[in-house]
Amino acid sequence: MAQNVNPLYEPQNTNSGKEGEMVKLPQNDGHAVTKRLHKELMSLMMSADQSISAFPDGENLFSWVGTVWGPKDSVYEELKFKLSFQFPNSYPYKAPVVKFVTPCFHPNVDTQGNICLDILKDNWSALYDVRTILLSIQALLDEPNVDSPLNGLAAETWTKKDEYRQHVMAMYKEV
Amino acid sequence: MDESPDSKKAWALSQKIFPILNDFSTCNQEDTFFKSQFEELCNYMQANGLQDFLQQLIINQVEKRFRDEIVPAFWSYFQKSELHNKDLNQFYNAVKSLYDNYKEMDKITSGLELFRQCTHVTKIPYNEKTINNALKLILKATVLAQSPLNYQAVTLSFYETALRIEDVDSYLGFDSGHCAACDQDSCNCLHLLQETNRKLSEMNLLEPLVGQTFTNLSHKYIYTHIQKMCKDNYDSFITRLETWLHTVVIVWLRKMYSFDTSICLNEAMDTFQTKLVNYLYNSYTKIRINQLFNIVIEYPESLPALEDIRLCLPRTDLKPLLMKKLQRAMETRLLHHGVSTADILTAYVATIKSLKVLDPTGVLLESVTDPIHQYLREREDTVRCVMSSLTEEGPNDLAEELHKRGAVDENINVEDGDDDWETWTPDPIEAAVSPNPPKDVGSRRNVDIISMLVDIYGSNELFVNEYRNLLADRLLSQYTSDTEKEIRYLELLKLKFGDSNLHFCEVMLKDVVDSKRINQRIKEDSEYSESIVPLSTLIVSQQFWPPFKEEKLELHSKVAEQIKQFTAGFETLKGSRTLCWKNHLGVVNIEIELNDRTFNLSVSPMQATILMHFQDKDTWQLEELSNVMQCTASLLRRKISFWISHGILSETSIDMFSVQNVENKNLAKVVFCDEDFEAESAMASVQDQKDEEFQNIWTYIVGMLKNLDSLPLDRIHHMLKMFAFQGLTTECSPSELKVFLDRKVRKRLLIFSNNLYTLPK
Repeated sequence: MAQNVNPLYEPQNTNSGKEGEMVKLPQNDGHAVTKRLHKELMSLMMSADQSISAFPDGENLFSWVGTVWGPKDSVYEELKFKLSFQFPNSYPYKAPVVKFVTPCFHPNVDTQGNICLDILKDNWSALYDVRTILLSIQALLDEPNVDSPLNGLAAETWTKKDEYRQHVMAMYKEV
Repeated sequence: MDESPDSKKAWALSQKIFPILNDFSTCNQEDTFFKSQFEELCNYMQANGLQDFLQQLIINQVEKRFRDEIVPAFWSYFQKSELHNKDLNQFYNAVKSLYDNYKEMDKITSGLELFRQCTHVTKIPYNEKTINNALKLILKATVLAQSPLNYQAVTLSFYETALRIEDVDSYLGFDSGHCAACDQDSCNCLHLLQETNRKLSEMNLLEPLVGQTFTNLSHKYIYTHIQKMCKDNYDSFITRLETWLHTVVIVWLRKMYSFDTSICLNEAMDTFQTKLVNYLYNSYTKIRINQLFNIVIEYPESLPALEDIRLCLPRTDLKPLLMKKLQRAMETRLLHHGVSTADILTAYVATIKSLKVLDPTGVLLESVTDPIHQYLREREDTVRCVMSSLTEEGPNDLAEELHKRGAVDENINVEDGDDDWETWTPDPIEAAVSPNPPKDVGSRRNVDIISMLVDIYGSNELFVNEYRNLLADRLLSQYTSDTEKEIRYLELLKLKFGDSNLHFCEVMLKDVVDSKRINQRIKEDSEYSESIVPLSTLIVSQQFWPPFKEEKLELHSKVAEQIKQFTAGFETLKGSRTLCWKNHLGVVNIEIELNDRTFNLSVSPMQATILMHFQDKDTWQLEELSNVMQCTASLLRRKISFWISHGILSETSIDMFSVQNVENKNLAKVVFCDEDFEAESAMASVQDQKDEEFQNIWTYIVGMLKNLDSLPLDRIHHMLKMFAFQGLTTECSPSELKVFLDRKVRKRLLIFSNNLYTLPK
């Protein structure tokens, strides 16, 4: 999935989940990050895709709120999911922390909203941006990875669409 | 008193000697008495110790006479109705009668003096030195105590006439020798005047009675004189005025006071003179301050007047008045809708220049021009006006400023050194009073007019953008434009606004030069033939030119064919580049040949295309033509009307147009000039750009509300400011944003409730 990754950073990203072992990345001055985030925001605003969206949450450019509509013809259709984005200072060399704010019944999302998605973990690349993250999460909703579930029940019931749908609706609560 | 025969006799004697002691007014009959009688009286009085008593009695009688008869008679002259009588007699007669009575009283007091000497009386009433002084004192007291309210009117008119006699030259313009007061060649006006003064002086009444009149009169005289001189004349007058004061006013006053013995003439005149000179300066400055607005406008013709004010200001205390008056004048006469921006700018430049004469420190300037700045900021066309006058041909203040700028630059650096701390002086007091405290003196001293203008907006950018638009317009409207000249201006502007800001304009000019070259190269190409329409192309770099106004227009096939050829030529020349044609921009030179007449015209491509279509076919439906040309019918109709006004096309029936091959003589020749053809700018207007930006803002707002659900106005504005306005040239105020959002609410694209904006579901 990842392509054209800067080889300098890729191996370091494998540890990025654990704060303690954080390897010191080349100092990224804050200006470059804000500039990049501004640019991403602008391209996001200009894009015509109505099913995904994101915007800085209040004063802080490093904290965003995202919105994803459930993909068409899936159990999540017509449902709106809110996500939170926390960008590290080393963005885009390090992935943002993305969580579901809206409770979501899904094999790869736990009850705290944590998401298990490769591009947010090991496979992150500086070429990804907010838009690709949102699209990936939207895609993940309909194509879960049932082999490494965070939510066992969801993984089990994935194949039984009607039961699964009931679980989804029971948990879903618009925020 | 004892009723002794002696005393009776003594009383009769005193009544005889001092007739005033009789209560009846028989005093005028000159009773003669003998010296022996006088001595007898003296002896008797002395023997009985009554001499003081008799003196008091007589003084009392004198006072009574003054009080009851003489002074009322004197003042009664003033009550006569013909106050405006120009001749001098009224006051003269009053004084004369008073004087005669005074003389009579004086006679009595001389008698009294004799009596005092014989009886060795030492006490004098009112502690005066002589009995005569006491008499004068009584007279003065009584006259002043009974003075009617309006008596000054009489004295004023009297001395006004007197002054006119003196200043006969300035009133008549020639020395005719005849009297200014009564218009007669020989009269005794001067004599009357002198007589009056002499009598008043003798009675010690000159200063108490008419001193105030003199002051008022001379003030009034000075004031009217200055006003007369300064009216619509901005020469320097102050030295002339001072001479005039000395030769006319002071001399006259000296004459008036010449009989007065009671005061030391020279000393009194010196103080009077100082006061008058002060008054002169004060009035002159005030009059000039009232004219200051005109003086400023007339700059530099009014320079002498300005120099005068500069000289006068330190001697008077009128700087605050000057500031106030000038600001008021600016507000009422300059800063309102009736005045065009260009005029305001001219006035502004004149203000800067003339106030620099008045006050080189610039403090005055700053406080006076502040309202102008604020006002100019509100005007929409200020920037355009500034830039166009900067680059305009012909005599123009701003253009001149621009040209001499280079020289100024070097001087600044010399002056600005640290060495001049020794000559530093603090700001004048007005600096502290002015509403916004000015920056340090150094920055103020060296600013030139253009940077002051630019400072109105706080940044160069607006001006540079405007210049870019102007330049683009000029380059597009005159294809043969003189790039040499434009480059020269650009160089000058670069000095002012910096290289990097004007980089765009440089590219634009280069485009024009390059276009000429490329045109030539393509035309030399053997594959390119200019058989159909001779074409000359201006190739602009889209990145650097201001956005053009977009208009759709399908050119006539012949022209389109030529354009295609040109594009092909360009593509071979420039490799991987192509041309994107702006069909609606440009100029077409056409020669129209009809049956009976020919025209040579320069028109817009659209107008030319219309005619070309009519060349193929004599009659067109509006609808049909608008389809062919791909433009709206209303626009097309407007353009066709240009040709109708030239008598080339005519509307034969509704929406049906045909060529007018033979001139219609009956048609009243309405010279209808399609105004927007002349005036229209090819650049997208500010409003268009703003609309486009608002469209960008809207997408941000939608994105914001999608994720954050509902937000109040100020949050939206704040977030836009943080996240969206960075790439945009203009910012919008919260109120502007509110107008925009409310428009969206009306279109049901937004919901507004509880002061929160929400997207509809």
